[in-house]
Amino acid sequence: MDPLAAIRDTFFQECEEQLAELESGLLAMEGGDQDPETINAVFRAVHSIKGGAGAFQLESLIRFAHVFETALDEMRSGRLAASADVLKTMLRAADVLADLVSSARAGQEGGHPQQAALSDELKAMSGAAGADDDGGEEDWGDFEFQPMSAAVDLPADTPPARAFVVRFKPRADLYAKANEAALLLRELTRLGDSNVELDTSEVPLLTDIDPEAAYLTWTVTVSGDTDELAIREVFEFVDGDCELSVEAQGASEGAGETGLDIGALLARVQADAIPTIETAPDEPFELEAPAPPPVADLAPVAPPPLSVVSPAAEVHPEPLAANQARKTEAGATIRVDLDRVDRLIDLVGELVINQAVLAQRVMEAGLARASAVAMGLDELEQLTREIQDSVMAIRAQPVKSVFQRMPRLVREVAAMTGKPVRLVTEGEATEVDKTVIERLADPLTHMIRNAIDHGLESPEKRAAAGKPAEGVVKLAAMHRSGRIVIEVSDDGGGINRERVKGIAIEKGLIAADATLSDEEIDNLIFMPGFSTAAEVSDISGRGVGMDVVRRSIQALGGRINITSKPGKGSTFTMSLPLTLAVLDGMVVSVEGQTLVAPITAIIETLQPKAEDVHSLGGHARVISIRGGFVPLIDVGMALGYRATPLAASDGVALLIEGEGGARAALFVDAIQGQRQVVIKSLEANYRQVPGVAAATILGDGRVALILDIDTIVAVSRGEMRKAG
Amino acid sequence: MNQVISQNGQNNPGGMKELISFRIGAQEFCVDIMAIREIRGWTPATALPQSPSFVKGVINLRGAVLPIVDLALRLGFESTDASDRNVIIVADIGGQVVGLLVDAVSDILTVTDDVIQPTPDVASDTAKTFVRGLIAMDGRMISLIGLERVLPDLELEAA
Repeated sequence: MDPLAAIRDTFFQECEEQLAELESGLLAMEGGDQDPETINAVFRAVHSIKGGAGAFQLESLIRFAHVFETALDEMRSGRLAASADVLKTMLRAADVLADLVSSARAGQEGGHPQQAALSDELKAMSGAAGADDDGGEEDWGDFEFQPMSAAVDLPADTPPARAFVVRFKPRADLYAKANEAALLLRELTRLGDSNVELDTSEVPLLTDIDPEAAYLTWTVTVSGDTDELAIREVFEFVDGDCELSVEAQGASEGAGETGLDIGALLARVQADAIPTIETAPDEPFELEAPAPPPVADLAPVAPPPLSVVSPAAEVHPEPLAANQARKTEAGATIRVDLDRVDRLIDLVGELVINQAVLAQRVMEAGLARASAVAMGLDELEQLTREIQDSVMAIRAQPVKSVFQRMPRLVREVAAMTGKPVRLVTEGEATEVDKTVIERLADPLTHMIRNAIDHGLESPEKRAAAGKPAEGVVKLAAMHRSGRIVIEVSDDGGGINRERVKGIAIEKGLIAADATLSDEEIDNLIFMPGFSTAAEVSDISGRGVGMDVVRRSIQALGGRINITSKPGKGSTFTMSLPLTLAVLDGMVVSVEGQTLVAPITAIIETLQPKAEDVHSLGGHARVISIRGGFVPLIDVGMALGYRATPLAASDGVALLIEGEGGARAALFVDAIQGQRQVVIKSLEANYRQVPGVAAATILGDGRVALILDIDTIVAVSRGEMRKAG
Repeated sequence: MNQVISQNGQNNPGGMKELISFRIGAQEFCVDIMAIREIRGWTPATALPQSPSFVKGVINLRGAVLPIVDLALRLGFESTDASDRNVIIVADIGGQVVGLLVDAVSDILTVTDDVIQPTPDVASDTAKTFVRGLIAMDGRMISLIGLERVLPDLELEAA
């Protein structure tokens, strides 16, 4: 690629990040965030986009960013109040900015229909209307400059003094929040030659002492190449929990006599730290005594964590540099081609299988469990597992990246439908595999559109129902038993079951005389070709309805459910696997076949007694577990491996909980063990098999099938109904 | 003569074809060699539920899951009782990789299109579905098999 194009590419990638930052910052402020750092971040985002745009001479982008920036600057300096109206305009401006960026990326230097109007609005807000139209000339060159959030209460340009006297008196709160005065003092002493004095005059008599109160005051004289900002930074995290004064002094003073011995203190801290650190890498030495060479190789890989402590604790004398250094440290990332990561993941998957095969061979060779080979294999297994986890973690991303696309969608759909909508998001930090995230965007977009278009009532109807005019759409993500659950809910009218049923009958999806439960009616909306929109609107209702959503969720190994309360609203619940590559499984055998049951679905396993199992006629059986009855499903029969059910006392039951919370017991011949398995697609070379979610390769190199528990339960329930 | 042509027969627009021939019981069949990825020995397959009887199951082919079709059963003969003597022909059928269980692989034939005689009109449905033509060679009859329909119809049963 031509170097300029590469730089341009990077610029646009960064723009995406800045835009995301911008939007989330504005939204946070709309939600009442008063933190000056938020507005600073928002300002920086627009500023960086402007700077970059300057370098590529993207005129209309620069112009708009400049106006936007000016308005933000007014807000930053407190001259413009961050009212709800102002923020709404700013959010619209952020949308326009995003559009300008993407059209610039596509090479169109057009401008935006709303650009002029919004520019004027922004200018009016910043009181600079007409002041300078062709702005943006002044500082494109320095787009690397990042405005700093220096502590506001002191002039940043204090001339460096020779020495500072720092008086530091912790309050009880400081200790209560698990801060340690000694660590702060150690920090401080790194800034230069220092002398620490401890004032113990406030310490009461032993009888009056409150063990949780604070009585000590330190006076530290720091001399050398430092300044007030650096010193204050040391106490940044205890701000408000201590009394702190920093005074410049002309000349450094002589050393005090009664001071706390920092040197000794440091020595003690390190002495405390070292033994705990060294014992850890030592252990394998003792275990592996007969085979020292590999250990020697390993040792340098894990340097004592002490070195990890120091860079983080190190404070640069230059406050700006220090602040920036911390920023980059916190968010240090590299961009890696996704293909490389995927290749790595594939290889690790093969490694896991290979390791399992090897382990099995060793077992077959009859080597003792305590032999060096077997023990080495155990270590290998742990390492492979760790590698696998870390590799998977590379792909894991917070769902934020897809959630943050939604506010804009909501604004647009709200404007189109004329329904005021508030979007509430929860659990944005929930992490899940990147592929899952990518493939979530479309279904989520569709569902949110639906929620606003079909779910929420018109403002008049809401008023009539006594609801606030503003509808609420909630988007929430959470981890639940090894899966990620995403909910899209609205506080609208809920599903009109009469109408849904009517349409389904009209379209011939169900028989006219069918009796359906409420739940079954609700789920009709997932039927192909079902669309309730009375008139086809721009927003939704093109006949590609919820069935497409359901199919794309199922393609991800997920499931979708709807619950609806008339007058209260509807909730769509999607449950998805965290990763598409591995699974923790329970390996079981059924009629000579080895099968894997996803462990996430299993609540417990039990050995049923004959008297606990009752026949309901046909092959349908239930098992009583602690007083309740759950259906007992013979996996061998459900999959067609055998024609007659296994006797109750001959097998093991896995108590499972299905998607809707329904319980069932899967009856298998025996449990072989628990294992992490690599998921292999069955569809790639064959097709979907009912009751089988995927396949995997076991230690002996043979293929084992992974059970699709929900289908098995659903199928046998259907058969039971037929049989009954 | 055949041998010489076979050196560059694959891309010959004149209609030269390389075919791989194999045995099922007493019958001889052949398929286009371009569809064949490899030939390997039999390993026990993991049975697949809810599948037609001619799908023997799946095996592990270097990390991929490979379905095995008992070609004898698929073509309407007696099921092959698989043992170590049997052979799996790994074929690429429209992007899907499938193993075909046969008794033995016998030869590579190089033929021109005019050697392949059209299938006579017979009542058998399997013949119509799979047999693309017949080749007479050294007094034997070899049926040319089309592999497109070997796997069960996906859409039909997936619903």
